[in-house]
Amino acid sequence: MDVILNQLFAGLSMASILLIIALGLAIIYGAMGVINLAHGEFVMLGAYAAWAMQTHAGFSIIVALPFVFVAVGAVGWIIERVIVQRLYHRPLDTILATWGIGIVLQQLVRLSVGAESRFVKGPEMLSGNTQIGGLFMSNYRIFLIAFSLAVLMATWALLTRTEFGMKLRAVIQNRQISECYGIEAKHVYSITFAYGAGLAGIAGALITPLFSTVPTMGTGLVVDAFLVVIVGGLGSLIGTAAASALIGEATALFSLLMNDTLGRIAVLAGIIVLIRFRPRGLFPSNTGR
Amino acid sequence: MTVRLFYDLIALVIFALVIVFGVPALMGFDGFELNTFARYLALGIVSLALALSWGGAGLLNLGQAATFGMGSYAMAMHLKLKASGGTLPDFMGWNNVPELPLIWVPFHSLGVTLLAGLLVPAFVGGLIATFMFRARIAGVFVAIISLAFLVAFQLVVIEQQGITGGQNGLTGLAPLTLFGWSVDTYSVGFYYLVAGCLMLAITLGLYLTHSKFGLILRAIREDADRTRFFGYDVASYQTVIFCISAALAGWSGMLYTLVLQFASPTYMSVSFSLAIVIWCAVGGRDSVIAAAIGAILVNLLEGRLSDVFAEGWSLMLGVIFVLVVMFIPRGLHGLIGDLWHVLSNGSRKEGHPSNKSDMQSKPVETRQEN
Repeated sequence: MDVILNQLFAGLSMASILLIIALGLAIIYGAMGVINLAHGEFVMLGAYAAWAMQTHAGFSIIVALPFVFVAVGAVGWIIERVIVQRLYHRPLDTILATWGIGIVLQQLVRLSVGAESRFVKGPEMLSGNTQIGGLFMSNYRIFLIAFSLAVLMATWALLTRTEFGMKLRAVIQNRQISECYGIEAKHVYSITFAYGAGLAGIAGALITPLFSTVPTMGTGLVVDAFLVVIVGGLGSLIGTAAASALIGEATALFSLLMNDTLGRIAVLAGIIVLIRFRPRGLFPSNTGR
Repeated sequence: MTVRLFYDLIALVIFALVIVFGVPALMGFDGFELNTFARYLALGIVSLALALSWGGAGLLNLGQAATFGMGSYAMAMHLKLKASGGTLPDFMGWNNVPELPLIWVPFHSLGVTLLAGLLVPAFVGGLIATFMFRARIAGVFVAIISLAFLVAFQLVVIEQQGITGGQNGLTGLAPLTLFGWSVDTYSVGFYYLVAGCLMLAITLGLYLTHSKFGLILRAIREDADRTRFFGYDVASYQTVIFCISAALAGWSGMLYTLVLQFASPTYMSVSFSLAIVIWCAVGGRDSVIAAAIGAILVNLLEGRLSDVFAEGWSLMLGVIFVLVVMFIPRGLHGLIGDLWHVLSNGSRKEGHPSNKSDMQSKPVETRQEN
C-alpha cells in the first residue's frame, strides 16, 4: 500500500511539472494554433537562467523565479515578433519553424555555456521531508504541486478576470471582429506567446533540482507536454490540468506495474488511442476557432 | 505529355547525369570519397519518401524515422547473423539470451531480409494509417500521432536489449553478399548500387505523382471533404501512400545500414525524424527530385561545414531552416520555379510588350491550408 501511495505522490509531482510546462503550450496552441516545438528550449533557457543566477548572483531558485519569467518571456516575445507572427496562416509550418528555433536556442546555449550538465541546489528551506504514515514526501515536491496549482489559478484569473484575458478570448473567437472593435490582435498574440514562454521558463527553473541541466533537456519534455495539451483538449485549462494529472499518474502507476520504459510506452500507446477516438481532447472547449 | 512531366523528366535526366557521371568524376572515382556520397544518396530516398506523403498528400509524417529504422535493423540483423556464422550474435550472449529469438530466424535469408525491409515498414505504416485515416484524423493530429508512435517505438527498441542490442544497436556486421558479389562499401560499385536505388525510387515517385493516383492525392491535400463527395475513398488513398512512403523509408534504412555498417536506435530519434523533414522542406516538398536533392545538399553541407565550424554547424542548420520555412516555404524547388517564371515573363515582356498571355502565365500559388 505504502509503495502505491509513494508512487502516486511521485506521479503527482511529475504531473505538476508537466502542468506548468503544458499550460504555456496550451495557451499558445489554444490562442493561435501554433505548435511550439521550441517550448522545450524555453524550459531549458529557464533552467539555465536559474543556474546562472544561482552561480553568479547567489539567488535561490524561488527568488530567481520572477526574473526567469521576465527573461524567458522576453525571449519568447522577440521570437514571436520576428518569426512566429509571419506564420499564423500556415499552422503546419509553425511546427517546422519552431523546431528550427529550438535547434538555434539549443546550440546558442551549448556554444556559450557548454554541453556539460549543470547542477542547481534546491532551496534550503524546502530541503526536508514530510512523513505521513508510510508516505514520504519531499517538501520541495509538495511545494511544486502547490505552486503548479497556483500558476493554474493565476492563468485562469488572467484569462477570465482581466481586460487582457477578455481581449484574448475575443481574438480567439473571432479575430476580424475583435480588430474592428479596436483590439490589436497582433499585440495580444505577442503577449500571449511571451506569457507562455515565461511559464515554460518558470517550469525550467523549478525542475533544476530534479533534472540535470543540459542543453538537450527540452526535447523530451516538449513531446510529453504536447501530448498533455492534445489529450486535454484545445484551449481548455481544466483539460490541461486533468490531462497532466492523468498522464503523470498513469506513467507512475504503469512504471510500478512494469518498469519505467514499459510504463512510458504503455502511456504513449494509450495517448495515441485516445487522440484517435477523441481528437478534440478530453475537455473540448466550445469556443470555435 | 504535360508541361510538368516534361520538366520533371528533364530534371531527372540532369540529376541522373550528375549522380552517375558528374559526382564520381569529381571525386576521381575514389571509393572512400564516394562512400560518404553514397550515404547522402541513401538519405535522399527517405527524404523523397516523405515528399510523397507530405508534399503529395499533405500528411506530415513526423514518424518517418521509425520506418527508416525498421529497414535499417532488418538489414543489420541479416548481416549480424552472417557475421556470427552459426553461433549466437555476441550481444545476445551478454544479455543472457539462450537461443536465437524467433523473430531473428528468417533473417538468415537475404531474400526474406530484403522483403522484410520493405514490407514490415509498409505493414506497420499501413496499420497506423488505417488507424488514423479511418477516423478522418488530419493535419496537426497526423503529425502528433506519428510523433508519439516514433517515441514509443524507439523506446521499445532500446528496451528489448536482448533482441535489438538496446542502446548500442547492432554493430560488427559482415559485408553483404549480393548474387555472389561481396559488397565492398568503399568501392565504386557500391556507389552505383546506391545511386541506382535512388534513381529507381525517384522514377517510382515521379510515376506516382504524375499518375491519376497522385492527382487524387493532391485533390485530397487541397480539400479532403470535396474529394470525398466526388466518391473517392479518401482513407484508402491516404493509407496506400503512407504504406509506399514507409516502404521507401525502409529501403533507405537498409542502404544506410550498408553504408555505415551498423544500426543504432539514434536512427529512430525525434531529432533524426525532424532532420528528414528539414531536408525535404529545404529541397521542396512538392517534388520528389527536389526532396532528394535537399537531403543530399544539406548532408553535403553538413559534412563539409561541420569540419570547419564543428559545433557552429547545427546553429547554422537551424537558422537556414527557419529562413527556408519563413521565406521559401516551397523549398529550393519553389524558389527555382518562381525565378523561372519571373525570368521567362521578363524576357517575353521585352519581346512582345502587348502580350496578353502574361497575365495567364503567372505562377498560380497553391497554398496548403491544413
